[in-house]
Amino acid sequence: MTGRPARVPRVFPLVLGVLVLGVVLASALPGVAATAAPSPAPGTGTAAPPRPGQTQFQRGESLYQSSCASCHGQAGQGSQRGPTLIGVGAASVDFWVGTGRMPLAEERVDAQRRAPAFDEQDIDALVTYVTSFGGDGPAIPTVHPGDLTLGREIYLQNCAACHSAGGSGYTQVGGQVAPSLLEATPVQVAEAIRIGPGQMPQWPEEVLDQGQVDAVVTYVQELQRLPNRGGLDLGRIGPVTETVVGFAGVALLLVVIRRLGKRAP
Amino acid sequence: MKRRSAEAWVSACFLGAAAAAVGFVVAYVVDAGPQVLGGLLGTACAALAVGLVLWAAQLLPSGTYVEERRPMQPPEATQTAFVETLHRGSSGTPRLLRRTLLLAGLALGAAVVVPLRSLLLPTSAPPARALRQTPWRRGVRLMTREGDLVRADDVPQGTDLTVFPEGMPRADDATAIVVRVDPRELQQPAEGTVAGILAFSKLCTHAGCPVGLYEQTTRQLFCPCHQSVFDVLSGAEAVAGPAARALPRLPLAVDGDGYLVADGDFDGQVGPTFWRPE
Amino acid sequence: MITRWMVRRLDDRLGFSPVARSGLNKVFPDHWTFMMGEIALYSFTYLVLSGVFLTLFFDASTTRTTYEGGYAPLAGSEVSAAYASSVQLSMDVRFGLVARQSHHWAALLFTGAIVVHLCRIFFTGAFRRPRGVNWVVGVTLLVLAIANGFAGYSLADDLLSGTGLRVANAVLLSIPVVGAWAEFLAFGGEFPAEAMIPRLYVVHILVVPALIVTLITAHMVILVRQKHSHFPGPGRTDTNVVGSRLWPGYAVRSLGLLFAVVALCLLLGGLVQINPIWLWGPFEPGSATAPSQPDWYVGWLDGALRLWPAWEPIVFGHRLPALFVPAIVLPGLTFLGLYLYPLLERLMTGDRAPHQVLQRPRERPGRVAFGVAALTFYGLLLTAFSIDVVSKFTGIPVYLLIYTFRVAVPALPVVTGLVAFVLARALRDSGADGFLALTWADVRGALRRRKPVPEAPSATEEPREAAPEEPDEEREPEQAEPEPVRVPAGPVP
Repeated sequence: MTGRPARVPRVFPLVLGVLVLGVVLASALPGVAATAAPSPAPGTGTAAPPRPGQTQFQRGESLYQSSCASCHGQAGQGSQRGPTLIGVGAASVDFWVGTGRMPLAEERVDAQRRAPAFDEQDIDALVTYVTSFGGDGPAIPTVHPGDLTLGREIYLQNCAACHSAGGSGYTQVGGQVAPSLLEATPVQVAEAIRIGPGQMPQWPEEVLDQGQVDAVVTYVQELQRLPNRGGLDLGRIGPVTETVVGFAGVALLLVVIRRLGKRAP
Repeated sequence: MKRRSAEAWVSACFLGAAAAAVGFVVAYVVDAGPQVLGGLLGTACAALAVGLVLWAAQLLPSGTYVEERRPMQPPEATQTAFVETLHRGSSGTPRLLRRTLLLAGLALGAAVVVPLRSLLLPTSAPPARALRQTPWRRGVRLMTREGDLVRADDVPQGTDLTVFPEGMPRADDATAIVVRVDPRELQQPAEGTVAGILAFSKLCTHAGCPVGLYEQTTRQLFCPCHQSVFDVLSGAEAVAGPAARALPRLPLAVDGDGYLVADGDFDGQVGPTFWRPE
Repeated sequence: MITRWMVRRLDDRLGFSPVARSGLNKVFPDHWTFMMGEIALYSFTYLVLSGVFLTLFFDASTTRTTYEGGYAPLAGSEVSAAYASSVQLSMDVRFGLVARQSHHWAALLFTGAIVVHLCRIFFTGAFRRPRGVNWVVGVTLLVLAIANGFAGYSLADDLLSGTGLRVANAVLLSIPVVGAWAEFLAFGGEFPAEAMIPRLYVVHILVVPALIVTLITAHMVILVRQKHSHFPGPGRTDTNVVGSRLWPGYAVRSLGLLFAVVALCLLLGGLVQINPIWLWGPFEPGSATAPSQPDWYVGWLDGALRLWPAWEPIVFGHRLPALFVPAIVLPGLTFLGLYLYPLLERLMTGDRAPHQVLQRPRERPGRVAFGVAALTFYGLLLTAFSIDVVSKFTGIPVYLLIYTFRVAVPALPVVTGLVAFVLARALRDSGADGFLALTWADVRGALRRRKPVPEAPSATEEPREAAPEEPDEEREPEQAEPEPVRVPAGPVP
């Protein structure tokens, strides 16, 4: 053997370590990913500006007819493209529109959280109009500060299996996702508990009372602002990302010994 | 690297390590939190490591040495002497003595294994019984983890409820999940259901994880451990993933006070399969 | 002065200076891959140090107690003493969280370094005679490290580790005939038995660590007795060791590595969260958290559990649990294969001679192919343990991933193994320095040839010809250890 062998193996662990650490750091900063993802301009969410003198009901009607009626029907009776809205209740309308999931950017099974297409007043107007279709669906819940410990207990029993213990969401059957709760507002969390959007089960008053919902909402808020005690949280998904970091650590130590030791001729 | 400058670098590293160590103590006293504590102590060790490595590489005598390796095998005579030493006094050992010693050894070995049986706690039932039975009996009321008894009205469609036998909120093998469906959609006999309310063991038949995810529109239960899926309408048959058996069903009834009760134990073995006659 | 005085006192009592001197003169090969085992050793050292600190605060009991510490969402909750003390240690004890997290990170590094070290031994043929004994000791150390890692992961009694114990319970139950008794004797009763945590604690801090310390000692004693192997090179023969002397250069370098390993553990422990048990919550009957994975060293088994089809055949009138093959047979065969590999290769090649000079991996394309295929196989299984997480981030349905892996796990190792075989052969036959130096002609040549070129087998013998001196077979065994000899012009660039 003459000369040094190729240098590939020497830099390989370093490159690997740096790459992996980079990926980890990127994934450990959910804020980066969230802000980097452009929120697509809602396709059907454009409506004419409110005319002066228009009542809230009229405003709601005009927004509904321009943005919702094509799928949910002129009078909320539903169509092949969308379910009926009669009796869904104020909480449901506020949740779907307020989280930007409706109007759909494109027709797909699971709507994604986006920046809402309407401002607060317009959403209120839509709620007023859609609830006028009748029915007794849940009203927009009010939330109060609740018992944090009780909230943690209820959350871990009922919510963690789908939304993950850290609130970052989890996969479901068929590639759908129980979304992350880390961007949800308190009212949206309470609304989701009451209406059970999509595949999510619903917890009406007889299953979870107001105090219990308040407690869960309080705990979700705590999850949102928990300081990362003990460092980067690696997405709060447990051993998968820990494995990646652990392997990066081993790669780093291999670089160290590569520097320490010499190479056989 | 010149010797002088190497010395300067190494001592700079050692100084850095000392500074970080002092910083660690200060951080500890003021309770600066795990990030600062770990960061400073780690930095101290890292600086020390760099210093030591530089020292070894730049300042200590180095060079390639050759150490001779002697063959492992000693000369024949040495080996023979050792074997003879081992055999000292063995030629005259009677066969009976050797055999009874072997018997004693085997018996003693077997005897000390027996107390392993004590590992089964006195409070536990024998495995075969404990694994086949749960605390559910005919007439035992359903209770939530919070201790509330359950009426049929407490289980609206679209929700799922985890229940235990009344008074036993820590009976893991009895954990059941209660859901309500439209009775007309059921693809199995309605006996043991109450107005479309069904109860299944919550423990996955694959590896025993609680099947915690209920998809209310597809009426499927999803296991977070190994992604088995059970279809509620067909009696919690395993429809995807590694589980091979349906979730056992808990027959339900309503007692005189209007509470949901069990109408017997689960209709199959709860939790992961074990070796048992089929 | 003081050194002289101390040596004299010690020699009075122990007469140790001749032995110590030959110890300090021990020659270590300079190749960097010889330090992989040291990473494992130093990770273990840190595991012991941080572990002792943790035992002072941890209460291994499932007795119900009320958490009274500073973590608000848990305040006033009734939880097990094990969980309460783990959270207390993380939230309320200064330096406690750094110790716990760095201990956990060190466990990942420890097992990782063992596997890397094992790969080096495997691909260079360092397990050949006379090192078969140390191979067996090393594989046992890997088994013990995995077992102790799992026991430690399970101690905190949080929801994630409780789920891990559920699966362990199911794995024991799946053993035909004796499974139920095995599980009940191990855990003390039906899951979740109150004896689990205290028993795992004794296993984790006493039984297995004692075995590991014993076996590490044996590993080192055998190493010193047999001396290091070394890579082929000018002047390197089966009768010598070429490298640096232990004292002072190698010792200081190695001490530097010790501090580097400890520094990495501490930095990770302070700056990167691992196993945030306060988020997972306490173990509760009937509760689960998602995603739910074990640490990586058991992760390949978890991946196998996810991929193995829903199949419970009736055997002798009994239902054979679906877990039996992926969770009992697979690891059983894996470690049996590891233990027996040196023997199997000896039978295949007929090479029974002792070797002190290592092989370059390319010298045995068949071994390279087998090793690369095995690494691919277990790597895929390990990747499969994350299918739910991958599905969440990519939106690919979980079942699509399962079916893909079910095809890839048996198929891909064949492909990578073949590629590795051809490349190793091309490297060997062309004498190229590395992959980048290979030409297409080399690869084509390796593809075409059925038999290795005749000169290939002598590749191992080559350094022997360059040996400057003949082995001295008449040497007296009692003779004192000869001094290492300085080589004027180091053969190492």
